[in-house]
Amino acid sequence: MTTEPTIHASDTVPISLVVNGRPRSMQVAAHRTLLDVLRDDLRLTGAKECCLVGECGACTVILDGRTVDSCLVLAVEADGSEITTAEGLASNGRLTPLQEAFLDEGAVQCGFCIPGQVVSAHALLAANPDPTLEEIQEGLAGNLCRCGCYWQISDAVLATAEGARR
Amino acid sequence: MQPFAYRRPSSLAEAVAILESSGPEARLLAGGTDLIIRLRDGTLRPSVVVDVKGVAELRPGIREDDGRLVIAATTVMTDIMADPRVRRDFTALAEAAAVVGSVQIRNRATLAGNLCNASPAADTSPPLLIYDATLVVHGPGGERRIPLDAFFVRSGVTTLARAELVTAIALPLPPARRGAVHLRRTRRRGHDLASVTLACSVDEHGLTRLAYGSVGPRPVLGVDDSGALADPATPEAEREAILDRLLADASPSPRSMRAGPDYRLAMLRVLARRGIQGASERLANRSTT
Amino acid sequence: MTTARVGESPQRVGGIARVTGHQAYVADVHLPGELHAALVTLPVAHGRIVSIDATEAETLPGVHFVMTTADLPEPMPRFGPQFNDRPILAIGEALYHGEPVAAVAAESREIAAAAARLVRVEYEELPAVVTVATALAPAAPLVRDPALRPDDPLAATNVLRAHRYAWGDVETATADLVVDERYSFPIVTHFAIEPHAFIAAPDGDGMAVWSSIQHPNWLQKILARLLGLPLAKVRVFAPDPGGAFGGKQHAKYEPLVAFMARRAGRPVRLVLSLEETFQAVRRAAAEVRVRTGFMSDGTIAFQDIAADYLIGAYADIADRVVGKGSYPGCGPYRVPSARIVARAVLSHTVPSTAFRGFGNPQVNWAVESNLTEGALALGLDPLELRLRNLARRGEPFIPFDTPADGDWEQTVRRAAELIDWHGPRPAGRGRGIAIGIKSGPTTGLSYATVRLLVDGSVVVYSGTSDMGQGARTIFAQIAAYELGAPLDWVTVVMGDTVVVPYDQQTSASRSSVLMGNAVLAACREIQAKLRAMAAHLHDVDEASIVVDAGVVRLPDRELSILDVLKPGLGRLGGELVGNGESRKEDEPEHPLGGSAAFFEFNCTAVEAEVDRDTGDVTLTRYVTVSDVGKAINPLQVRMQDEGAAIQGLGHTLMEHYIFDDAGRIRNLGAIDYRIPTSMDLPLEMVSEIVENADGPGPYGAKGMSEGALLCVSAAVAAAVRDASGAVIRDLPLSPERVWRALHEPARVPEEVMR
Repeated sequence: MTTEPTIHASDTVPISLVVNGRPRSMQVAAHRTLLDVLRDDLRLTGAKECCLVGECGACTVILDGRTVDSCLVLAVEADGSEITTAEGLASNGRLTPLQEAFLDEGAVQCGFCIPGQVVSAHALLAANPDPTLEEIQEGLAGNLCRCGCYWQISDAVLATAEGARR
Repeated sequence: MQPFAYRRPSSLAEAVAILESSGPEARLLAGGTDLIIRLRDGTLRPSVVVDVKGVAELRPGIREDDGRLVIAATTVMTDIMADPRVRRDFTALAEAAAVVGSVQIRNRATLAGNLCNASPAADTSPPLLIYDATLVVHGPGGERRIPLDAFFVRSGVTTLARAELVTAIALPLPPARRGAVHLRRTRRRGHDLASVTLACSVDEHGLTRLAYGSVGPRPVLGVDDSGALADPATPEAEREAILDRLLADASPSPRSMRAGPDYRLAMLRVLARRGIQGASERLANRSTT
Repeated sequence: MTTARVGESPQRVGGIARVTGHQAYVADVHLPGELHAALVTLPVAHGRIVSIDATEAETLPGVHFVMTTADLPEPMPRFGPQFNDRPILAIGEALYHGEPVAAVAAESREIAAAAARLVRVEYEELPAVVTVATALAPAAPLVRDPALRPDDPLAATNVLRAHRYAWGDVETATADLVVDERYSFPIVTHFAIEPHAFIAAPDGDGMAVWSSIQHPNWLQKILARLLGLPLAKVRVFAPDPGGAFGGKQHAKYEPLVAFMARRAGRPVRLVLSLEETFQAVRRAAAEVRVRTGFMSDGTIAFQDIAADYLIGAYADIADRVVGKGSYPGCGPYRVPSARIVARAVLSHTVPSTAFRGFGNPQVNWAVESNLTEGALALGLDPLELRLRNLARRGEPFIPFDTPADGDWEQTVRRAAELIDWHGPRPAGRGRGIAIGIKSGPTTGLSYATVRLLVDGSVVVYSGTSDMGQGARTIFAQIAAYELGAPLDWVTVVMGDTVVVPYDQQTSASRSSVLMGNAVLAACREIQAKLRAMAAHLHDVDEASIVVDAGVVRLPDRELSILDVLKPGLGRLGGELVGNGESRKEDEPEHPLGGSAAFFEFNCTAVEAEVDRDTGDVTLTRYVTVSDVGKAINPLQVRMQDEGAAIQGLGHTLMEHYIFDDAGRIRNLGAIDYRIPTSMDLPLEMVSEIVENADGPGPYGAKGMSEGALLCVSAAVAAAVRDASGAVIRDLPLSPERVWRALHEPARVPEEVMR
């Protein structure tokens, strides 16, 4: 049994993005997702592909200040937006305190979910600089970690918040 | 994902014109958290995707207008759950918006999108039903209003006519002091689709409104205006009899893999009891709402 | 400079690339001219392939070819780690939902996927067996053609093999109480966040393959055989897997992409969807009957275990999982008479494979639950019953295997203390405790090469895969410690079979022990060379020199390694190279082919609350204590143990495959297959370790990281029972199942007094 695909014409649309502070202009087919364009066209592979249904959060990026699952955003929808990926957090080769805390607290095992986790945690702290454990667990529930580093990830966020207070 | 044409109208008139000319081949894109999944898995193969986020009249926002709180169609869950007026006067809606998917999903998912999918499990449907929401709809014939209870037909099917789109959701401001709550059942505590989703409000006159979803082809609203359900002095048997009536339209599918039908029905009753209790407690604890 | 000694927890080696998004996993690797593959599968569990018509698919612009069995060598090459039973593409019949029957190679992933839908496969649906009961039914369709099993007395059944272990005599043993119950464990899947990915590229006169694989050397052997190439011409690149958990041990679609690349003359890549990983790897389900005879004081008189594991349509490593997973079925206890019969039952399902715990969690769930039932029936404390029977250090417990190799009582008592076992239970809460044990590696062979460069920096070559367990960091710590280098002066090279010496496999929690010993041996060889150098330079007797932890001790003074190395190497410079080998020979007479290198031992204790109206379980406190011998990196040990516990909570509370009548997996993908999120944790988790430096690895280390998963289910179920009275013998303990146990009439217990 096969399902016959209906091939429709695809629009190619010019878009302009600012990705990790750098303006990028390109032509994209309308049906391609932001994740596809980041990974395949811009070779920013920190955003990972896993579930493609907005459950795992491995593809999380910040779009105009808010985290999104980039697998559920068309690239054309992001036209005119500012995007931050995991690659864009550290500057001049210096890790952010949050990234350092991820390593210090042991929040990284295989690392595949980690770019998404770091991006989500970064946005969480931007919105709520002093979160409770419960707020962290709720705020990062959209980022699955099968290695099960959830406690260590929460520790890293708490430690970062505490470091910022000092 | 199959290729498609992408349109991003800037006005309502333009959006309606595109919908009129494209017919059933067009699909509206708001937050995309449901649509893009279905475009990718091939269950939807539109030739045109119409992104409504550029439509001036649909821009996100929550405003008061003539005794109503009006939520623009593309307002996302994150903004609904955070809005002080929603939290104060429409608590159950704020609670429901807060459990739609993860943060990332709530940053994209729109209220209109959640309703127009007409998923029986949509968490925002029961609160909007108890709050007597009306959809503001535009189409070729201009604007019309559809009471939410007259909007849902069955999973994926609404009474929206061809080339119509929802522009806003209007909620009458509370006519009386009331307490309300949203409750749900899921397979885990992290984000999940509801196997029962329920909202309940109790007001100072004893009016109980109870709405529930994910236990049948569409969400259901039940009303007890006798005051008996909300009155703790009412004998248990009588209250259960009222609940029997309010929950009678629940007909969970035996084929669901998310929960057995008997379990869903039992949980519906548990949530209904807890909902009445929770709403009553909130009513007692607040001077407004 | 980062310094770190053994027993400290420096930042993970390779961590920076992981937090900045720069770590390259297989899917992040791109080769010039690469083509994209897509699999063609049937929407049934079992179907006879009548014809495959790829004409239309091949006319789609951008499609290079559609690979079918007609394009593969005749007879169809078959492979597998235990039996060469898996064809590269389904031949004649598709035996499980998701088995590829053809594959497309195209210019883009999108075109390949579209073309795969255009491949017209005519097939006849055949009856499928997807449960133990249907697979063992007298008239069940045979998953494996008996013609493929000549001389096999089980050929006319769906039992691939039966494993039997016995001592004493369960037939004549008597007891005051016999608890005879059945328990079930569902099919669950690894759900590594990195879906499996494969790239094959013609490489001169050989083939280069990139795979998210745990055992690159094993894959190299399989590919060399299938492709007819010498080992040296098969170069397997194994970038660090993004989570593996056993699911990436063995070859899956690498042979397919290699044959496609050979046909294309170009690189071919295949990145699975998460749904396709569900159809590639999963844990065996099991139905286990346990009959334990107890004396009235709680002493175990005998244990009789019959475990039927539901494996898939091809064996993969599943038969070994069954044999090794059931083997320590009686746990770490003195059991005078025991009989364990474990059967690998073929079915029309995804081939089951290794998954953290390797077949032990299934039997552990049953046996530990059975012990709790026995204790309660006897009116005894489940903790005391376990302690009464627990083997003490040095005591044989499986008669033909390594005696108890740890102070296990210490671990159990510590867990009990941390859950306040003897303290009053808070209202509405219950407690449960269980013990897990797993036989470590039974054989092993690891080589390591270490180079001490002229400036004192170090390069370690190790064939282990770092899939998150932190092997790179452990080996870097060992080398840094032994050779006196700062940790960030150590580079660990892995994952390239042309460059890195042979390692048997990354599994069975072996790497810190077996590869760790090889790295240590390589460092010791360099130390010996340093001793010789120092003796020559300072004209002292070599035997009087000690090299230890980066220091060269002469009879009259201490020198740094560099003080010896630089003058010792002389004006041309150069380096010192050490080779290490670590070997655990097989024992042909042993039922597993070898005794345990060590046992993983864990005790888990849980406090839980149950919402009687809904069946919701809240774990209010969770304690996991493992005997690890020596923690080379204590933070990594904690991460592994807590991660294992959380993974175990997945199969305990929520995970399972759901099949439809046709044997298709209904809950493919992340929406309806639920794994724990950050909101699904116990309210509090305490993990501790016991360190007595009594393991066979470096500095007394034992293997760890599977232990903490073994007995999660039994501990949680015991706490649920204690809190609510719900007796549950089928996983997962979903709210619905707990609710049913509380609200539906209970089964009459099958406890028999005799």
